[in-house]
Amino acid sequence: MKKQFLALMLAAGAAMGTAQADDVLHIYNWNNYIAPETVKHFEADCKCKVVQDYYGAMEEMLAKLAAGAKGYDIVVPTGFALPPLIKQGLVQPLDKSKIPNLKNMNPAFMNSQFDKGNVYSVPYAFTTTLIGYNDKKIKELGIDPTSWAAIFDPKVLEKIKGKVTVLDDPKELFAAAMMYNGFNPNSTDINQWQKAKETIIKAKPYWAAFNNQSYIKELTVGNIWLAHGYSNDMFQANTDAHTAKRPFNIAYSLQKEGNTLSVDNMMVMKGAPRPDLAFKFINFMLDGKNSSELTNMIGSGNPNAAAAQFVSPDIKKINAVFPTPDNMKKLYQLNSLEGKPLRDLNRLWTEVKTAR
Amino acid sequence: MTRSKNLAKWLISGPPLLYLIFFFAIPTAMMAFAAFRFPGDYGGLMPLFGADPATGKNVLLVNSQNWHDYLTLDNFARFFQEAVYIELFIKSFGYALLTTLLCLLASYPLAWLIARSPKKWRDLLVLLVILPFWSNFLIRVYAWMIILGPQGYFAKLVNTLLGVVGIAPQQFLFTPFAVIIVLVYVHLPFMVLPLYANLEKHDMALLDAAQDLGASRWQRFWKVTWPLSLPGVYAGAALVFIPALGIFAVPDLVGGTDGIMIGNLIKQQFLDSRDWPFGSVLSIMLTLSVLLMAGLMAVLGRGGKRNAL
Amino acid sequence: MHSKQSKWLWAASLLVYGFLYLPLVIVVVYSFNDSRLNAEWVGFTTHWYGVLFADDQMLTAARNSLLIGLVSSIFATFFGTLAGLAMYKYKLRLLPILVLTPIAIPEILMALSLLMFFVALNFSMGYLSIGLAHIAFSIGFVAIVVRSRLQGMDESLVEAARDLGAGPLQAFWRVTFPLILPGIIAGALMAFTLSIDDFVITYFVAGAGASTLPLQIYSMLKIAVTPEVNAISSLLMLLTLALIVIAAKIAPGALRASH
Repeated sequence: MKKQFLALMLAAGAAMGTAQADDVLHIYNWNNYIAPETVKHFEADCKCKVVQDYYGAMEEMLAKLAAGAKGYDIVVPTGFALPPLIKQGLVQPLDKSKIPNLKNMNPAFMNSQFDKGNVYSVPYAFTTTLIGYNDKKIKELGIDPTSWAAIFDPKVLEKIKGKVTVLDDPKELFAAAMMYNGFNPNSTDINQWQKAKETIIKAKPYWAAFNNQSYIKELTVGNIWLAHGYSNDMFQANTDAHTAKRPFNIAYSLQKEGNTLSVDNMMVMKGAPRPDLAFKFINFMLDGKNSSELTNMIGSGNPNAAAAQFVSPDIKKINAVFPTPDNMKKLYQLNSLEGKPLRDLNRLWTEVKTAR
Repeated sequence: MTRSKNLAKWLISGPPLLYLIFFFAIPTAMMAFAAFRFPGDYGGLMPLFGADPATGKNVLLVNSQNWHDYLTLDNFARFFQEAVYIELFIKSFGYALLTTLLCLLASYPLAWLIARSPKKWRDLLVLLVILPFWSNFLIRVYAWMIILGPQGYFAKLVNTLLGVVGIAPQQFLFTPFAVIIVLVYVHLPFMVLPLYANLEKHDMALLDAAQDLGASRWQRFWKVTWPLSLPGVYAGAALVFIPALGIFAVPDLVGGTDGIMIGNLIKQQFLDSRDWPFGSVLSIMLTLSVLLMAGLMAVLGRGGKRNAL
Repeated sequence: MHSKQSKWLWAASLLVYGFLYLPLVIVVVYSFNDSRLNAEWVGFTTHWYGVLFADDQMLTAARNSLLIGLVSSIFATFFGTLAGLAMYKYKLRLLPILVLTPIAIPEILMALSLLMFFVALNFSMGYLSIGLAHIAFSIGFVAIVVRSRLQGMDESLVEAARDLGAGPLQAFWRVTFPLILPGIIAGALMAFTLSIDDFVITYFVAGAGASTLPLQIYSMLKIAVTPEVNAISSLLMLLTLALIVIAAKIAPGALRASH
């Protein structure tokens, strides 16, 4: 009987003995933010393996890194998350000699307030946060998706109760509620935040869930008719709906009260196990052709000038992906928060989550 | 002789004791201590150690003069000042209690049947109860996500029936209803087993005697079986109530906006809001609740716990 | 027993068994469904098993889970057996508290305290932190199973061995150990399953790329479920079933002792 047990252990051991590649790049990225094809191209190019972990919100990423998640090479944070990462010493300066493709960048996206001189970061792609919807249902019900009222006004929500999801992200959801109330989403005025909180709590009973990631699928399936989310995710949902021959489209549009614009950046972690592969990856992603896949396949906006020639004209026309100068006036990049304002927002968020 | 006995005692109990002190007692003490600290600028905890401006060396920043800059009762005050937190505790207690009652209701007939089955069948019947419990916890939750999903057969069937009666279609997934049903599902074996262990030991002669004295079936149950089974009931209740109270994955996956429980709030403090001190306060409150309940069950069960293990 | 009452009991019990098994049957059935949606039955396919075996991340996660389960259960069995022995032989105060509390409190509490502990030590999160945490929560379960085995043991056998001149160590290895071995094996299996199954504690103490099967399944549930999850679930159920059958063969008393 001991022998049998030993045999069992050995069998289990053999199952685990399969070789593991030594050259592995660990990327911590937003989910649905790189096409599997692009990853395959890079793996072929560097003769290495890419392992990805995903997050659905900046808070989640910051919390995981602050909680000692180590071993990542690359992380792809939104602008406002750069200062906390830099000030906490979690990232390392970029070795620009290893990134010749930096020359491809659109200067308008460089040298942002979050990382002057791009010491630590280089833009990857950008998205807008907006409302995506099932065009057939929303038309039938006569809902106006170009206003944030679609997710905040109980009168509108009554028609789509349980068919709405919003982002599980304090910064994004509060920003939307602030704009709906006519405030600047970057204001840290506690009274305005309180007002936004009330808006959210009033609308909350009508929402199915706080959802950062699976709304792509829920929209495609038809479980959800309207979702607060990122433009590239809506693009994905629409592509999936077409592939699955669903009898509707997933449409998306900017809101008249304004939207947030997230420019996401590649950064190399301090203590990255493979900085060499990390810089290779950054340089690879800044190549015009490779970068254009972020737009053509994922539907995100592109800060890479060399990518423009490869971007499909159909996508260039979508305002939510490539905002016009007019749209730009109502797009806000969210500021970084620290200390008291951060604690205030988190407290309000806890109250939102806990409120009945 | 006593010396070598003492040595043996330490050799045997030493290793597990040290391991658990290191990986259970110390971490728990750190969490309790964190409840009295301030959060850092980017979340987490405000450091107690830092570079001394004069020497640049890493030193303990707290001393007898400035301790109130580093230690506080504010986190506890926040818990008691705002009604939402206590309300959430009450709500979670309600969910856990409902789960326990439903588990009891479903388990009793089953445990009774197993205990009264021929001996050769009992092991198999018990195994059949445990078997689903050996599949991964998340899989058991996922199964219900499939069943309750709006496109699933269950939701469609129920909504068609409701439509006949003239009631508007209902949502099942992402509701408190989903949370309760999944909580019952994942905890059911914890109730069946101690109940069965208890019922198995009952002396059937007592029931026969009661019948001879003219007791009806209900009287026999309420006057004989039920009181005798109470230790099993309390043991099962403790095994269901306590884990159900602190759960976060179930409300997280099927609870929607209104189904959250204490566990979710605690998780949020650590993994989203990064307010560790307040998260620690919530954890302490949860621990106290659990100890209170466990104590209550132990007192009520009078040794019922032995049956559970 | 009255047949009327018996019928009613059977009906209720069958209902409960149905409640226990139907969801799992549905998971397995949908793993063969030719549709991404887990909603209507479209047609039979083994496509999702193909997808599963081509999914490197899932296979890596499965390998990690097995490895962590194996290593942590060996250590947990060692510490747990000692703890069980100590609790049986000696009147101790601290050890029983430390052994039993982790079992009694909700998992999330242990998860958080370990998270803070590892962060405070600036410990690199990963397989090691997961393994250390798994050992910590498994010790108690092993200890209880071993202790209950010891309690059922006939103490006079050990005394007889001592009377015949065996030293304490000899008596342990020749008499006590073989008698409690089924308990130790049961405890080891339990520690292994607990480790493979654990989501909550792993979720908090896992680091980069250190994915285990439950973490991988959770992230698929959160992002986008495909019937690939059903496929891996079905295989996992098959594996546990096999483990139980093996356990029943190796140590027939093991399953009873563990519950």
